[in-house]
Amino acid sequence: MYQSQSTTLPITNVIGYRSFLTHPLTCLQQMDDIDAMFSDLLGEMDLLTQSLGVETLPPEPPSSSSKEMNFSMGFADMNVESLNELEENDLDALMADLMADLNDTEEKLAVDLEGQKEAEAPPPDLPPAPHGLSFYPVPSLSTPTSPEKGPNTFSAPLADSPAPILSPPTLPQHAKPSMEEIEAQMKADKIKLALEKLKEAKVKKLVVKVVMHDGSSKTLMVDERQTVRDILDNLFEKTHCDCNVDWSLSETNPELQLERGFEDHENLVDPLSAWTRDSENKVIFQERPDKYEIFKNPQNFYLWKKDKKTIKDMKDRDKELLVEENFCGTSIIVPDLEGVLYLREDGKKSWKQRLFLLRASGIYYVPKGKSKTSRDLVCFVQFDNVNVYYGKEFKNKYKAPTDFCFVLKHPQIQKESQYIKYLCCDDAWTMNLWVTGIRIAKYGKSLYENYKTSMKKAAVTTAWTNRITTTTSIPSTPSPTPKAKASGQANGHAPQPPAEPMAKVGNAPPPPPPPPLLPTQILPPPPSDPVLPPPPPPLAVKRIPSATSVPRQLPSLPTLPTSFPPSLTYMANLPPPPPSLSQDDSSESPPDFLPPPPPALGFGPGAGSLPSPPPVSFLPPPPPDPGFPLPPPPPDPAFCPATNRGSLPAPPPRQSNIGAGAPPPPPPPPPASAGLQSTPSVRKTGPPPPKRTTPPLAAPSGGDFMSELAKAMAKKRGNQ
Amino acid sequence: MAAWDLSVTVEDLGADAPPITVSVTSDLHIGGVILKLVEKSQVKRDWSDHALWWEQKQQWLLRTAWTLEKCGIQADAGLIFMAQHKPLRLGLPNGLTLRLRACFSGPVFRTVLGICKMLNIRRPEELSLLRPIEEKKKKKDTDLSEELYDLTEVPLTSVSRPCLYNGMPAHFADSLKTEKVYKMLSVSQPAPAPEAIAKLYRPASVVDKAHIHSRWLDSSRSLMQQGVQENDRLWLRFKYYCFHDLEPKYDVVRLTQMYEQARWAILLEDIDCTEEEMLLFGAIQYHINKLSLSEPQTMTSSPAMDDLDSALQCLEVKLDGADSSPQDMLENLTAPELNDYLKIFRPKRLTLKGYKQYWFKFKDASISYYKSKEESLGEPIQQINLKGCEAAPDVNVAGQKFCIKLLIPAPEGMNEVYLRCENEEQYSRWMAACRLASKGKSLADRLFQSEVQSIRSFLAMQQTNPNTHTDNSMSINTHSLVSPRYSKKYKVKQLTPRILEAYQNVAQLSLTDALLRFLQIWQALPDFGISFVVVRFKGSRKDEVLGIAPNRLIRIDLGVGDVVKTWRYNNMRQWNVNWDIRQVAIEFDGNVNMAFSCVTADCKIVHEFIGGYIFMSTRSREQSDTLNEELFHKLTGGHEAL
Repeated sequence: MYQSQSTTLPITNVIGYRSFLTHPLTCLQQMDDIDAMFSDLLGEMDLLTQSLGVETLPPEPPSSSSKEMNFSMGFADMNVESLNELEENDLDALMADLMADLNDTEEKLAVDLEGQKEAEAPPPDLPPAPHGLSFYPVPSLSTPTSPEKGPNTFSAPLADSPAPILSPPTLPQHAKPSMEEIEAQMKADKIKLALEKLKEAKVKKLVVKVVMHDGSSKTLMVDERQTVRDILDNLFEKTHCDCNVDWSLSETNPELQLERGFEDHENLVDPLSAWTRDSENKVIFQERPDKYEIFKNPQNFYLWKKDKKTIKDMKDRDKELLVEENFCGTSIIVPDLEGVLYLREDGKKSWKQRLFLLRASGIYYVPKGKSKTSRDLVCFVQFDNVNVYYGKEFKNKYKAPTDFCFVLKHPQIQKESQYIKYLCCDDAWTMNLWVTGIRIAKYGKSLYENYKTSMKKAAVTTAWTNRITTTTSIPSTPSPTPKAKASGQANGHAPQPPAEPMAKVGNAPPPPPPPPLLPTQILPPPPSDPVLPPPPPPLAVKRIPSATSVPRQLPSLPTLPTSFPPSLTYMANLPPPPPSLSQDDSSESPPDFLPPPPPALGFGPGAGSLPSPPPVSFLPPPPPDPGFPLPPPPPDPAFCPATNRGSLPAPPPRQSNIGAGAPPPPPPPPPASAGLQSTPSVRKTGPPPPKRTTPPLAAPSGGDFMSELAKAMAKKRGNQ
Repeated sequence: MAAWDLSVTVEDLGADAPPITVSVTSDLHIGGVILKLVEKSQVKRDWSDHALWWEQKQQWLLRTAWTLEKCGIQADAGLIFMAQHKPLRLGLPNGLTLRLRACFSGPVFRTVLGICKMLNIRRPEELSLLRPIEEKKKKKDTDLSEELYDLTEVPLTSVSRPCLYNGMPAHFADSLKTEKVYKMLSVSQPAPAPEAIAKLYRPASVVDKAHIHSRWLDSSRSLMQQGVQENDRLWLRFKYYCFHDLEPKYDVVRLTQMYEQARWAILLEDIDCTEEEMLLFGAIQYHINKLSLSEPQTMTSSPAMDDLDSALQCLEVKLDGADSSPQDMLENLTAPELNDYLKIFRPKRLTLKGYKQYWFKFKDASISYYKSKEESLGEPIQQINLKGCEAAPDVNVAGQKFCIKLLIPAPEGMNEVYLRCENEEQYSRWMAACRLASKGKSLADRLFQSEVQSIRSFLAMQQTNPNTHTDNSMSINTHSLVSPRYSKKYKVKQLTPRILEAYQNVAQLSLTDALLRFLQIWQALPDFGISFVVVRFKGSRKDEVLGIAPNRLIRIDLGVGDVVKTWRYNNMRQWNVNWDIRQVAIEFDGNVNMAFSCVTADCKIVHEFIGGYIFMSTRSREQSDTLNEELFHKLTGGHEAL
């Protein structure tokens, strides 16, 4: 939830990251030159990771040279703070790409060195390991967002990447002679791949600045195939929010004073493309209770005529029935709304009352002197070409009778126009009724599908958090550092999403991904990663409450009620684990636990060697600095560096994070465990755990870039 | 035990044949009576479907093990020995009549099961039989010309659902005649003539609609018991409006008949809708008509479909491969374009009104225009991106006016632009292009040609005079797509462009999707699925209307037509029928009680509706395909069932 974009890391400061994101949104396409440069650097442009729109490099690319090039380039750009907006955005995108490249190469290296690393890797190679870890978490989180892409990306980099380019021309020829089905199949696959790549080459991408509810902002690269759901999932990773179903992306139009929550199935690029160049429109990431209120309290909409008491006393079972009745039949039933609304007359300043009715086919009104029967109704608007928006402060702007107004307009209309239809309701309740009713009429079943997906997402995250909490006991020892790492990873995911798909793909071939990550240390993370990714966000949230010390978090607390209860449960779970850490792990999640032993190993070797992790951990503290005075950060950084280096193995960190964040009480046990496993750093962490919660938060917020940068740095060092 | 004579009329011997007398004793069981009867009749044939009907008591003697004494039969009982399955003229939802053998001895519920099995309609519990509205006597002559579909020849034993032959249930594949019947069942009927619609009975008020529901047969009693005779006419209709588990692959007949019922409900104003909805219904009907005529074979689902699917997939891959050849790629990259001299008119900017001619180029979902053809290589005067626009026809065929009205969204609002074409041909192509572009598609899309075609056929419709009905099946009088109210309100040339406008949103649907869409819009109407009964509530002095919907009961003021109150079934505690005073009493959660007596329909019908809907709602939970007949009767049977 809390992502402060201004990251505190020294590195970030150098970069002047803030300046990047001044403009809300820029077309990547406009930055052809930069793109071109980038593509040259990468060499293999054809492989685009679909999930984030970031390009993943095939493993083969010359790891050292390309990386260095990229890195240096990025670095140089960073130093120039006075780049104009466009360029900054470009930089942003580039950074993401760069990170993806690095990740890929790292992965590749990891795979190559699997055997070797165990012996050699500890000090120099460790950096890659952390990256790998970060990737994995991403995959798990991101997987839901871009499942389809996963397979493609995976196949492309590993095996098909070379083929695709050649295939388009050559394949047809081959196909004719070859009689064998297998060959034909392979060729067909290749052709498909090639076609997909061609398509991808045409894919439109935008760099979007998303405003967080705390006023900070995050920049994302969004391609036109991504749905709002994908982007939300992405933001969940980055922000460690609680992933509840209310989270949504909205667009605001300050000029018209309008606001609309995007539906999860919409493509983000489309509506944003309608914005004018000088637009002050914004994309906001926030919780909107109205988003799925229809499914939480369907009686408010379908039985609005009933008396308040029956509505209020509605049983859950009856609510479910109501939803089933109206959304699960062969046809969606739209609430039958009718009522007097004020309509702003075309071209006039006055508002006129009319009796409006909502039907699945549109909004109608009853003409003067006519009855309400269907045949007499006059169509006011149909929904095919319009969206519904909330109006803000129309009382002032348009002399509306109340401030509870909604608007229907074509999404491409961005300024005052006679084609915008303004309606005004007596109260907020009525307005909500109408806007929701219109959404049901317009989107129908997709609305319900969206809701179910969100619920699943939310459920998975909570489940994981629970599970993690239990497991956390073991990892808790390294908690301080792990948190930092986790946050860093989450942040870093932006670019990593590409990696995610691979990880998913990996499910089919799970073995490949884990090994690449970390020889010994990796083992723990991979299992945990897939699962863990979801949990981190909730953890973060939990931490926030616990870490009340930080001023920002206080506001957030009210919004995240859901997170709190989980923490309690976690706490309950936690007590048992501390006594026998190892046992718990194994019992709880066999696969995941297997890792625990390795983590211990990882700690041992990694502790000294890991350079990259520390930066990550640092990152969190710095961000707080600018905006807020973070007491915790100071302690953390100190701890973190040590811990991180030692603990680089990602698995422990996450778990530790969880433990720390979720229930402050558990921390005590962790220290003990930490002592067992990790050396000084762990001990230090023991006391601070609660405080640490705050730092991780900071880290995630600013983290994307910072952590990535840090990793990149580490990587570079490692390479050198 | 003393023997006595029992005389039994054997129906098959003819009405004039004297009854056959057999000598029986009181402890002889029914089976024995039948045996003696058959022996004495000396007719050799299959008597297995025959049973004894006790005329005076209006009951079947189906328990062959019972003795005469136990049945209470004495010498004066006038028994009739007759077949249990007799021909029935069944009015289908599509308005056609089908003769088939139905069971006259079992409860109507089971009779409907049998009929649906023969017609290949799944979920038969949603349908029932009702007595048709009396036809005016003078119309008799038209009845004779009515083509009769006959399934009475089909042996009852051959009716079994699973085996398919030639894409239809095996018992339809026996002869050309039965194949024709199946086609009639599974393909929607062409649009009726507007005059025919106007002649049919239309309910004018809620009370009229309520009267229709007084005609439902009692599901728990047999046809014989309800006075239905051989060769009588009955209607088969969907009675309960909750369609469970609709699966186009298996439900060809069901889906088609459902569509037909919906279509007629709309055409005959049985269910109210708005003008916009009516136009959309009209457009989908037009689309369905067209598709059913052009590709009837797609309606039949073949068992090899799955294999076909995989074969198609292979083909697709190959096609994809072909697609990727360099030439094709180039073609894809350079989409086809349209180039023409057109006239443009922008009402907003007009100071001088009128169309100006330019050289227009259509490419990639946008239109550019130039001063002349020669300058088309340079910069266009303007380029208009049509994505997200609305393209509406502004056409008068008689006046040779072919304009395209474009509403193009822009940040400042919608820009109105008129393009004027020279002739139909040009108009069809440009209109089709604009339509595709509005959806973000280019001319390369394969839908382009079909779009051009459909615009042409619509123009043709406008050209043909309603009087000169050509044989061309494509030309449909648009008046036959809307209810008489709108036929009166609009002339064909006003109606056609509006239907065309609605049509553009559905033109790409497949036949099945179009049927489903039609049903969805129908089901989304506020009044959908409500069966009306005029009742008198306890304590009230005036008649009111009770609306019975799939999920609730509605109390409607008869005078004003307003909904007074609704009760939902999930809040229902219990309902009781007092059969002596014919009153239905219902108790809801929170001690809400209501009671009413029925005015237009028997209270058994209301009882059956309520119990039936509750039965329907139990289906979703149990996934098994078997129908819980016992539960149905328990819920709907009333005192007789118990």
